[in-house]
Amino acid sequence: MEKPSAISIKQLNKSYRESDQQHVIFSDLDMQVSRGEFIVLLGRSGSGKSTFLNLISGIDPPDSGKIIINGTDISALSEQDRTLFRRHHIGIVFQAYNLIPTLTVAENLLLPLELIKRLTRKDRDDVAELLDKLKLSGRLDSYPDCLSGGEQQRVAIARALIHDPSVILADEPTGNLDLDTAGQVLELLDILVKKAGKTMIMATHSQEVIGQADRVYSIKNQSLQRE
Amino acid sequence: MNSLLQRASRNFLWQHPWQLVLAILGIALGVAVVIAIDLAMESSLNSFNQATKVYTGSATHRIIASDGGLDEKLYSQLRVKGFSHLSPLVTGYVKLAQAEQESFKLVGIDPFIEKTLQSGWQSGQNENFSPVLFTRLMTEPNTALLSQKTAQRLHVPLNGQLSLVTRQDQQPLTVIGFLPDTNAVSEQVLAKLIITDIATAQEVLGLSGKLSSIEILLANDVSKTEAAIQSLLPGNALLLSLESQEQSLREMTRAFSINLNALGLLSLLVGMFLIYNTMTFLVMQRRRLIGSLRLLGVTRQQIFTLILSEAFFLALIGTLIGIALGVVLGQGLLQLISGTINAIYFRIDATVLTVTPFQLGKGMLLGMSVTFFAVLPPAFEATRLSPVKVMARSQLESGSRRLIKRVGFISGILIASGLAVAFLSGNSINFGLASIFLILFGFGLLTPVLTLWLMKFIERVFGRFLGVLGRLPVRMVSAEISRTGIAIAALMIAVSATIGMDLMIGSFRQTVAQWLHSSLPADLYLALPGDQMTAEKPLSDQQLKEKIAQLDGVGMVSTALQTKLLAEGELTKTTVFELAEKSKQGFIFKHNMDNSLWDRLEHQPTVIVTEPYAYHHAIRIGQKIDLKTNQGALGFEVIGINADYSGDQGHLIMSRQNYLRYWPDLGYTGIGVYARDGADLKNLESRISQLLTGQQVVKSNQAIYKASMELFEQTFTITEALRWLSAAIAFVGVFSALMALQFERTRQLGILRAIGITSRQLSVLIICETGLMGLVAGLLAIPVGFVVAYVLIFVVYQRSFGWTMAFYFDSGVLFQGIVLAFVAALLAGVLPALKMAQTHPAEALRTE
Repeated sequence: MEKPSAISIKQLNKSYRESDQQHVIFSDLDMQVSRGEFIVLLGRSGSGKSTFLNLISGIDPPDSGKIIINGTDISALSEQDRTLFRRHHIGIVFQAYNLIPTLTVAENLLLPLELIKRLTRKDRDDVAELLDKLKLSGRLDSYPDCLSGGEQQRVAIARALIHDPSVILADEPTGNLDLDTAGQVLELLDILVKKAGKTMIMATHSQEVIGQADRVYSIKNQSLQRE
Repeated sequence: MNSLLQRASRNFLWQHPWQLVLAILGIALGVAVVIAIDLAMESSLNSFNQATKVYTGSATHRIIASDGGLDEKLYSQLRVKGFSHLSPLVTGYVKLAQAEQESFKLVGIDPFIEKTLQSGWQSGQNENFSPVLFTRLMTEPNTALLSQKTAQRLHVPLNGQLSLVTRQDQQPLTVIGFLPDTNAVSEQVLAKLIITDIATAQEVLGLSGKLSSIEILLANDVSKTEAAIQSLLPGNALLLSLESQEQSLREMTRAFSINLNALGLLSLLVGMFLIYNTMTFLVMQRRRLIGSLRLLGVTRQQIFTLILSEAFFLALIGTLIGIALGVVLGQGLLQLISGTINAIYFRIDATVLTVTPFQLGKGMLLGMSVTFFAVLPPAFEATRLSPVKVMARSQLESGSRRLIKRVGFISGILIASGLAVAFLSGNSINFGLASIFLILFGFGLLTPVLTLWLMKFIERVFGRFLGVLGRLPVRMVSAEISRTGIAIAALMIAVSATIGMDLMIGSFRQTVAQWLHSSLPADLYLALPGDQMTAEKPLSDQQLKEKIAQLDGVGMVSTALQTKLLAEGELTKTTVFELAEKSKQGFIFKHNMDNSLWDRLEHQPTVIVTEPYAYHHAIRIGQKIDLKTNQGALGFEVIGINADYSGDQGHLIMSRQNYLRYWPDLGYTGIGVYARDGADLKNLESRISQLLTGQQVVKSNQAIYKASMELFEQTFTITEALRWLSAAIAFVGVFSALMALQFERTRQLGILRAIGITSRQLSVLIICETGLMGLVAGLLAIPVGFVVAYVLIFVVYQRSFGWTMAFYFDSGVLFQGIVLAFVAALLAGVLPALKMAQTHPAEALRTE
């Protein structure tokens, strides 16, 4: 039985202007991603991987075309509504971790929850439990700059998942990590995302990841080509 | 290499135009305020001197007399004794029927004095002026010269008539010629000047047989000639050099001038924080660039020079703009400053802004050196940046925190030194003000540490209710303390100075109001103009007094004569009282009063001195003051020191009975009327006014109280204006710091947007942070403002003006201070908040 569609992209166009030149990033791009599917995006630097993830997350609006996530056409939403949609349905993991430096590890995890509901004692317990699973239980009150790169990325993954989004977008999550640490992070993503049945699109150069993906695409000639 | 280095640095500056503009603005505003005050103050004093020169020419000395004037025979005597280069003058102020609201200076001259004593227009240097007019001035009675512009303004043609309002009625003067102006000052002076010959002036001003002064040019054997002239002078006359008179005018306004300059320097101090903040931002933002340059082999020395040369470039532009702004601002301040000098010290007839190269050079030096000092810390910081590892922001902040804690210790020393200087520096005004600067600077340096504590406190107490998002503004303030701390410090300094001055002005206002209430015991006061000392005045004043005393409803009357006596070789204001019993209640003595005081004041050679006089002359009770009487010098014992806020030079108080023993009767300058209980004051006032002539007026004590309080407020207008200027600079400082902060954390704010924070929430976050910064600045400004007010009241003002006043606490001032800081910070945060809210999250995430 075919899985229901999580992400549906139709006739997507995106370009940007630099000085007097118009650079086309995507032209009439189509894509369907089923629920629970793990998609890997390949492409050289500057090919548009991050832009693609920004478009799906609603951070960047397309020039034209449709991006439908769980039945909602986010390309038709206002900037404010896209933000609210992202808040509830999407988790993002960045290459540079991008934790909020002025919040502790626990607070970084509680922030996405607080944006969607009133925090309860259970939420705090859930955060502690999740950090325990990530072997970061002793780091609850630490600030991000006291953590190693691997630890920061684990917290970033936890932050992307804490509010139980249906779609996870990861932009080269192992790009800043050594091989061992990268392996641990990927293992974590496998457990927390893939095995939990969430849809994930990951931009990466890692060959290890490619093997675990359901589908692999690369960005060439302003469109996605299946590898 | 150097040019490439400079290009790398310059390109960075061009890419951050906001920071560039704000840094230049900080320097420019600080310099502008200092320059403006200097120009306006100097111009006011110079205008006074140059205005006098318009009709005194190149005189070096002047003979003046205490009120009553010089006998004109003195002039003849001096001539007969062989003294030359003398110019007699009769001066006074008159009103014209054509322009009743204005006051004109009428100067009676001898047109045919030696050329060396003539001013430019008199000696025929101006081709539009014919010396033939002088002959007509002398030979035709009631003729006058007037500036052509004034004549046109008053619609008086050549040979037309001016109507002078005199004591009795109006007196016509025929305008036989126009005065040519030679420069801006003379144009201003001439606009309010009427020239006649001596006889006409004496007649018009009621100074028959009298001269106001004799101007003298002493070129050779000055001290010998001085001594010879002194020996011929009568008891009430004094020979003084114009240079020493100018010096004494400067001395008179010295305290006022120092206080104004201090306000200017306050603006510069606030501006200094702004420059420091901007330069630190420009260095820290380039830490990657500097690190890369160091890797390429650029030395610490080269980095240091690079930053300094950049600062030099900014300082040069900022200072030049500041000087230009200062000249414009000075024009505005000139009216305020000369208005205050007019109200408190002496009359200035012309107000023209004059700019000298020296003043401009001073402004230039000040702007450049302040920038240099402000840029030294960030320049040293830049040389310490590691070439290998570019430090993370958080690492820099933790370094800053350590530095802030160390600076906190230094600030404690500065504050303690400030307080020590305040109370252990004798009578020096400069040290008094320096102590305020030390205290303000010390608290300014302490502000970041206190901010960190306050943020911890807020989080500990309110953190539970704030939630994670609510805690973010608090964290943002403390996490970037190297930025926020400086902005808060600048705002705190400006607001605490505002609170301090408000508390001081409020205390002063209360003290003056209380003093006025008790020193105006009579119900009605008559002002009898004292500059027309006619021979008939004493008799007519006496008759007026008697008529008033006989009016139905009048209980008793008192009289006063404002005159000038020669005390210890100085022309000293003296009030001669004929006190009614109730008048005595109007005195507030600064010591325990002896019951025999009033009796001694009437019957012995004694005086009461006002508090400022006692302070400036270091006079104590029991000491004697030598007064020059018609019978020679006589020591008058000081038997009382009276509170008085009517002027800061102080004056003597003497009984009329005592005065008449040694000086001629000059009539009264004021009469106090005490109504009987139940008398209709309005009706009495109207009946009295029917007895008055010319410029005599009657006013109720309430009207005088109101007018005095208005004058009080007017004298503080300049202080208010300067205070707002330093607040404006602080506002620019906060704005600049916030813009820099938002720029630095673009990426961080982008992350917040990525995880679902809306642009509105982001704006609220930033506004909350800036509001919090304002609140902290306001809260810290309260105790600092208190200390500043305390030092201002008990140290600076007492030393400057000799006044003591009580400290009145006004909680409204504190509230206003907090609101001012809060609103200023909120407003400063609006634009950065909007800018960040409008920044596209994708762009923000791409920011390094």
